[in-house]
Amino acid sequence: MNKIYTSLILVFALAVLWTIYLTNIKEDKNITTRYYTIKELILEDQSLPNVKVGGLVKPNSINISESNRLEVWFYVYQGQDSLKVYYNGTRPDLFKDDAEVVVAGTFDNNLIVATELQTKCASRYEGDLKNINTI
Amino acid sequence: MISQIGSLALNIASGLILSTFFFLFYYRFTKNKIFIDLSERAIIATCLSIILSTICLLNELLISNFNLQYVAQYTSYETPMFFKVTSLWAGQAGSLLFWSFIMSIYSLIYILSTLKRIKELKYASYLILAFIFGFFLALSNFIANPFEPVSLDIIVQNGNGLNPLLQNVTMAIHPPILYLGFVGTTIIFVMTLSALIANEINHKWISSIRSWALIIWTFLSAGIILGGYWAYNELGWGGYWAWDPVENSSLMPWLMLTAFIHSSIIQEKRGMLKTWNVLLASSTYLFVILGTFITRSGIISSVHSFTAESLGPLFFTFLLSLILLTGFWFFKRYHLLKSRDKIESFTSREGGFLYNNLILLIMCFIILWGTLFPIISEAWDGNKIYIGASYFNQLNVPIGIVLLFLMGIGPLLSWKNTSSSTLISNFSIPMILSFISGLLYMIFTDEFKIYPFITSMGIVFTLTSIIGELQKSFKSSYNNNNSLSKAILQLLSKNRHKNGGYIVHIGITLLFVGFVGRAFEVEKEFVLSPGKTIYFANHEFRLNNVTSEERDNHYAFISDMDVLDANNDNAYITTLYPEKRIYFHRNPDPDKRQPHSELDIYRTMSKDIYSIFSSYDPQKNEAYFKIMINPLVNWVWIGGIVIIFGALFAFWPSSRRDHGTV
Repeated sequence: MNKIYTSLILVFALAVLWTIYLTNIKEDKNITTRYYTIKELILEDQSLPNVKVGGLVKPNSINISESNRLEVWFYVYQGQDSLKVYYNGTRPDLFKDDAEVVVAGTFDNNLIVATELQTKCASRYEGDLKNINTI
Repeated sequence: MISQIGSLALNIASGLILSTFFFLFYYRFTKNKIFIDLSERAIIATCLSIILSTICLLNELLISNFNLQYVAQYTSYETPMFFKVTSLWAGQAGSLLFWSFIMSIYSLIYILSTLKRIKELKYASYLILAFIFGFFLALSNFIANPFEPVSLDIIVQNGNGLNPLLQNVTMAIHPPILYLGFVGTTIIFVMTLSALIANEINHKWISSIRSWALIIWTFLSAGIILGGYWAYNELGWGGYWAWDPVENSSLMPWLMLTAFIHSSIIQEKRGMLKTWNVLLASSTYLFVILGTFITRSGIISSVHSFTAESLGPLFFTFLLSLILLTGFWFFKRYHLLKSRDKIESFTSREGGFLYNNLILLIMCFIILWGTLFPIISEAWDGNKIYIGASYFNQLNVPIGIVLLFLMGIGPLLSWKNTSSSTLISNFSIPMILSFISGLLYMIFTDEFKIYPFITSMGIVFTLTSIIGELQKSFKSSYNNNNSLSKAILQLLSKNRHKNGGYIVHIGITLLFVGFVGRAFEVEKEFVLSPGKTIYFANHEFRLNNVTSEERDNHYAFISDMDVLDANNDNAYITTLYPEKRIYFHRNPDPDKRQPHSELDIYRTMSKDIYSIFSSYDPQKNEAYFKIMINPLVNWVWIGGIVIIFGALFAFWPSSRRDHGTV
């Protein structure tokens, strides 16, 4: 091994270690967000500053504020479990009943105050076929 | 009828691949050359069958044959002709066939051109091609068949229609160009692994694979940039890159291929780094398959991924078998690839290329680690942990700045070793100009930020260094010819790889100009009634009115908003017309109607004013907007165009001059 290769490998190894170290600082909410299931959150009794939850928007649960149409309350559900979410901001176009969403924010008192609301991108659009009999 | 032909062509293609294996097996034992020719013909026939099958599917899409599930799912009678064509790659089954289609075209070129020159690679190439084609044909035939008819109890009157987000010209050309890049890496992989098996990692191999790599790199770069352009102009979150797993999946092969293009220069010039080049070239394709696995398995939650039909386990097995295959042959041939020459000096051109490789590899690792972290953390302690964009930025921004300086340093270094006097004379002008730009930055910006400060110094350093190099080669040819026109002509025709490379580097430097702007982005969400104004970031926004209009395939609310310059006596700048549209608005089922925000962007070289019509309350006549001021974004697109131009410049003539090397 000559000097130059050894130093390159050394730098690479250091970068790898630094990367791994950085992702293990779990407190930094800019870097890591833990993904919870709704069931886990329902059983949680303390407040959590940094959660991420995926699920479907419960039909007929979307409640848009009268005074500020950017404010919305809705329930996100996975199977039987559901949880209330508050979000203030521009909603994605695909946000509607039964849309697949990912919300991230703080969890307190059985409410998620979301700072991030994303719908699954429809880069694939696999809807059910319309039967002539049902139209 | 046509759909039966397409379906049959797919079956025949699978049969032909089986026969290829059979012929190659016979060749292995009889060494009779006729079996090589037979397998060559079988693969060519496979490619032609796949092309035929794709044409059949295209035909069904165009004539709206809703008896086919795929056609009914992605098109409707109302879908414009142009988007009926693009729906060929809009869904799982179609995009897989489209993948094989592009692979067929590449393979035909490879077989009929490259393998005619490098005959030694034939046997192994056919074997690997047959394996890869076999995998994709199995998927298309048994798992995701685009010719699958709709189930018998359903009569489809009209199809679903294509998603409005995809009804956009950029979105129509972004996937095929990205696919040309992704699928193109197949050839790089086949060529590398077959040369490894045949023990032909030599000069002929490296110069031929370099031409392939440059072409594929161009498609990959263009595809990634177009994807960002589409996201910025259509998706309405004001950015072009979000470190989403799907985006990362396209960046990782790009980084590996870029590293390969640089390190292969060392092999071409000095015959070194063979083992390293083999690893880089083959891993490019492995990263493409890894990316396909990530996007098609739904294992990592992404806003892009689709979990409807999971192909994850299949792609994982495929990836694993490719890694094992490559690993096996790599270790078997390792001792033959070692070179006696060593790179000794830290300040040499070779050293520069190695630093480039180091940086690109570190970036690739960071992205890989961040993308796979949810899986890793879940396997580690059961907690699924996601990595935010700030992880990628925190790590990649400083490393990217080092890369930026390196692009300026590299050309100033000489091969083998650079004497200290050359170092000083080469570096003085770029260094001085770079310091001046740093001073100017401090004087003229009110807000000091460390990364933009260093980046602007890097941009000036690298631009002066590259332009200095171009000027030097221009001067020398001018002195030889004493004629301006001849000198320019010579500059354009000689050393195209090198000069094209410099143009690409200028383009990448311009990208960094755009990246600097990201540090100064601001945004605001607000509500306005017609006639009212709001102040934000040195601008006044005045809503004139909101009108509505029914158009061909949607219903639109159109806002009319003046933008005034608050710093300059409220001088008029522009009027923005962001829209809120409802697609499928005639559908009686409100759930099937699809809202869509059509952005309006006012673009200048210094900044974009980006407007989104978030929501509208007709009762109160109140409109909700999101406005972003994005400085310097246009430099990203300009940089992208320069990159593609430089890359075309680099490979175009050389592929004509020595035609056979491609």
